[in-house]
Amino acid sequence: MESVRITRRPIDPSRVLAAVGDEEAGGTVLFVGTIRLRSEKKTVEGLTYEVYREMAKRRMRDIEARVRKRWPVVRITMVHRYGHLKVGDVSVAVAVSCEHRAEAFEACRYAIDTIKGTLPMWKKERFRGGAQAWVKGTPIGT
Amino acid sequence: MIVKVLYFASAQGLTNLKSESMRLKEGSSVKEMAAEMLRLHPDLKSIEPTVRYSVNFEIADSNSTLRDGDEVAVLPPVAGG
Repeated sequence: MESVRITRRPIDPSRVLAAVGDEEAGGTVLFVGTIRLRSEKKTVEGLTYEVYREMAKRRMRDIEARVRKRWPVVRITMVHRYGHLKVGDVSVAVAVSCEHRAEAFEACRYAIDTIKGTLPMWKKERFRGGAQAWVKGTPIGT
Repeated sequence: MIVKVLYFASAQGLTNLKSESMRLKEGSSVKEMAAEMLRLHPDLKSIEPTVRYSVNFEIADSNSTLRDGDEVAVLPPVAGG
């Protein structure tokens, strides 16, 4: 599996986890982001993700480089889905393996936080009853 | 010169465009491109203060100079994850 991926297809977290398996690693952290039923007391049917694919991919590669510079990462894999997702679907998965758990937790946390703040992606909430609205978001970080 | 402008999310909704070719004066900056964009699409005024721009996949500041063939993207506040 490529270490960074942007896909329309469903994400299988067990495959993301398997992709960072390595005999050099003693600690592995997997983060899985899923579509939540409630958003500020409203009931959500699903989310539609839009992405500036080429730039997002470059940014994910940049996140990988930054993570590797900061922590002694053995393997890292990041996958983000786009298109129409429904409640319960996996939108993003990040797996990091390191020699020890402390740096695996830190590196994984940094990777998912940076994905959220710096990828050119947008999501539209589709509410029960048919209403839709773009999630407010934050100015893209660098 | 001509640059390619991409619109995403709310910017796409307000312009009804995914992208367009925009003719600009030679040596125009991102700021000048934004002014031309607002002239063509006045509805974008409501969100323009919150958007950022990328040029050839890198975030650009408003004084950056554009070149013929550049790909400029209009990026509303992001919400990945």
